[in-house]
Formats: sequence, structure tokens, C-alpha cells
Amino acid sequence: MSRLIVEGGRPLRGSVEISGAKNSALAIVVAAALATEGECVLDNIPRGSDVATICQILQDLGAEVWYDDQDRLHVKGQNLHKHQASYDLVRRMRASFYSAGLLLARLGRAEVPLPGGCAIGSRPVDYHIKGFSQLGADVTIEHGYMKAEAGRLKGSHIYINRASVGTTINLMIAASLAEGTTVLENAAKEPEVVDLAIFLNGMGAKVRGAGTDSIRIEGVETLRGIEYSIIPDRIEAGTFMLAAAITGGDIVLKSVVAEHLRVPIVKLEEAGVTITRGDNELHVVAPNRLQAVDVETLPYPGFPTDLQQPFVAAMCVAEGTSVIRETIFDRFRYVDELRRMGADIKTEQNTAIVRGVPQLTGAPVEITDLRAGAALAIAALAAQGRTELYGVEILDRGYEFFEDKLRQLGAQIYRE
Amino acid sequence: MNDAHDKTALFSYRTLEEDSSEVKAILRKVYEALQDKGYNPFGQIVGYLLSGDPTFITSHKNARSLIAQLERDVILEELVKHYLQKS
Repeated sequence: MSRLIVEGGRPLRGSVEISGAKNSALAIVVAAALATEGECVLDNIPRGSDVATICQILQDLGAEVWYDDQDRLHVKGQNLHKHQASYDLVRRMRASFYSAGLLLARLGRAEVPLPGGCAIGSRPVDYHIKGFSQLGADVTIEHGYMKAEAGRLKGSHIYINRASVGTTINLMIAASLAEGTTVLENAAKEPEVVDLAIFLNGMGAKVRGAGTDSIRIEGVETLRGIEYSIIPDRIEAGTFMLAAAITGGDIVLKSVVAEHLRVPIVKLEEAGVTITRGDNELHVVAPNRLQAVDVETLPYPGFPTDLQQPFVAAMCVAEGTSVIRETIFDRFRYVDELRRMGADIKTEQNTAIVRGVPQLTGAPVEITDLRAGAALAIAALAAQGRTELYGVEILDRGYEFFEDKLRQLGAQIYRE
Repeated sequence: MNDAHDKTALFSYRTLEEDSSEVKAILRKVYEALQDKGYNPFGQIVGYLLSGDPTFITSHKNARSLIAQLERDVILEELVKHYLQKS
């Protein structure tokens, strides 16, 4: 099992290219297999292990998936024929459940294991299943599988109890080929939902209202393959901004959509970081020491839960006390690892109280989930001495060339 | 009193007609850029106006930066005004 070694204490300097959004890629790669005419050619797809898993799932279901010599991902879904998804593949991550929406739309039936994912609390797929039922599928849960039969799905008016990104995406995929119109109320407004809508519309779907809490999908008979480039990863961008902030660095992020980072930018500015917007880029200049700032995670456009952990890491060395409230997931398991590095953090239910210390110290730490891995890595960049990060394969799920990019910015980080 | 108050100051202001022609010129450029890239321009512009998400607008021909120069409510007001005056 490999580990990351970080020799901390060096400010990051230089520029870094932000990769395509992992969470967008997972949705769009699956949706690409809805096409029954031509193939989809997808650009800017990040090379994380989650994307590799979703490609394997599609191949297992009969789709053809391959990379060309320009690193573009081709998805040809015409031969999709198998309605049972593999347990070994689906259990690896939650987004694999998008295959259920795909199979119901394309084949009218699906048998998909209930998924796994990061250890960040229970996140059942009840809302997805309820939505499939409302689209006319006959759904049962047996032996750890969701089994659904539908023929052709029928458009419906669906209220999503919690504005869940996964549910919104899965129902958009399912409803795109349904008979009639589907309305999703209380839909998620995240940029990844908008990216999927733009992609589906390019394929010939009729999706309106993405980016608002009411999405209307007029089902069509067929969809066609297109070329498409996915949006930059706002979570990766935010993580690098925080890495620059915690190390007192000065970096330029290239290929970013600043609008997607509006609230993290405001919070970093409150902490004393100077951020200048350019054309598709952000220049981030950190002070010698950050100021403590309070944060509450919220659905988009609020502060993203996926940046809560790296933000807490940055606040560990800020001047003053920060109160961080997590309202989306149960996500504070990693603070024990930050404490091993000298952080002063108290947690009470969904709140972390972080008293800034002048310096963290390197220690062996265990990555407990994907974003915790990013948090521990950036804490290690600022820590005095050597940090060993174990469980690095979790980090590989969502960050493309993570240590290469950090090395390019002057960090001393390597894998062994 | 501050010296600055003794000097002649030039103020620039824009007329409603100037606002209107700027909105029209930018929307036309954005429309053409979206069409060049094979999108349905109306659907994309409406998506942007409803959500504010800039990814509805392609960065081809600098369209995304151009539309960001205008407040969305100003664009909408122009569209409604134009529609009602025409009908």
C-alpha cells in the first residue's frame, strides 16, 4: 500500500492548471451512453480512479468506452444490453448508482446494487428510488439490489425532499428519454447539474431550468452523440486556493470558472487572502498568517461541503478561533488526524471549533475519506517536518495528478 | 476644503438608448458565438438569465466575458421592454 510523504513549510508559488470536474465527469460519462446514434467524445475528463470505475461499469453493461491519443474519452452506447450492474464495481462509489437511471431510460429495467462511497455518514439512495417509482418504474429492494422494471418511463411531477445533487442527476438521466414531461422541484442547483443539462441538450434532450430549483425535462425518443468539454473542478480549484493560503503562497489557478467559487473566494478574502480574477484564472496571494473565519456549509451557491475539510485545515494555523458548521454530511472524523499534527479542534455534533495555533507539526496520519485526504495533505504542506499520509488510494479517487501539481508549485511531496 | 473640490470634474453618464444598444450588441455577439459552437442559443441564453451560471455561455469569441459585463436584470428589462414595445 503506497503512502504520500510531505516535507512541509514551503510556500507554494507558480501556476497550476485545474482539471475537469470529477463530479461532472461521472454524470456525463454515464449520460453519454444514452445516445443511440453516434458516439460521444468527451474532453477534460479527469483521470481519477472514480472515473475509471464508471467507465468499467459502462463497459460491463455493453457500452464501448476508450481514450484516444488526445486523451479524449469516447463513449458509444448503442450496444448497451445488460441490465444488471456488477456488485464489485458499483459498491466502490456512490455515483455508480447513476447507472440505474441510464438502464431504466435505455432498457426499461435495471438491477443495481445499493452503492458504497466515502465514509462520510449514511447517504441512502431513497430519493433516487422514490423518483424512479414516480416515473412509473416498479421498484423493489432485494438482497442488496434495487430491481426496477418500467418499459418506457413516464414523465411526472417530482418533489425531491432534499435538494440532492445525486438524485437530481439520476432523475435527469432517467427522464431524458421518458414519455412526456418531468418536473423536478427542489432540484439541486450545483454547476455539475447545469453541466449535465447543457450536455444533454446538446445530445437533443429538452432540459430547461437547470441551475434553478425547478428543472423541466421534456422526454425525447432518441439522443445522439456529440463532442463536449466538461467544466473545471471547483473543488480542486478551492483546494489549491486553500493550499496556497495555508502556506503563505502566491499562485495562479488556470482554467477556472470564478463564479462557481464565489463563496469560498469571499471567505478566503475575509481570512486575509488577496484574490484577483483574470480571464478564466485566479491569482491567489496569501498573507503571512491567515485570520480566523467562521463558515457554514450549504447547498450551492453556499459554501461547499467538499471544501469544509480543507478549510478547517487552513483555519488550524489562523490567528483566532473559527467556528465551522457542517450542515450537509457527517464529516468530522478526520479532525482526530489533524489533532495528531498539533491542531486545536473541538467538535460538538455538526460544529468544529478551531483555535488557531502558530504551527502544525508533521505526523503519520490516515486518510479517512476523499476530501479529508485533501485536508490532511494541505495541512502537511504547512506543517513543520515530515508527514506521512496513509490511505492515499482514497485521494486518487478524485484528484488528478495531485502530487505532481503540488510539486510543480514547489511542494516537497512524493509517493512511496 | 480638499483641493480636489476646487477642480473641474468631468462626469460620464450613459443614456437609456446607449444601455439598450449595448445590450443588443452584446446579445447578438453571444448569440453568434453560441450558434458557431452548435448550441441552441435561445435555450443557453435563457438558462444563463435564469440561473446566472456562466457555463451556459461559451467562452468562444469572448462571449462569456462579454455577457458578464451586463447585469442580468438589465438584460431582462431590455428584453421585456423591446417585446412589449414591438407588440
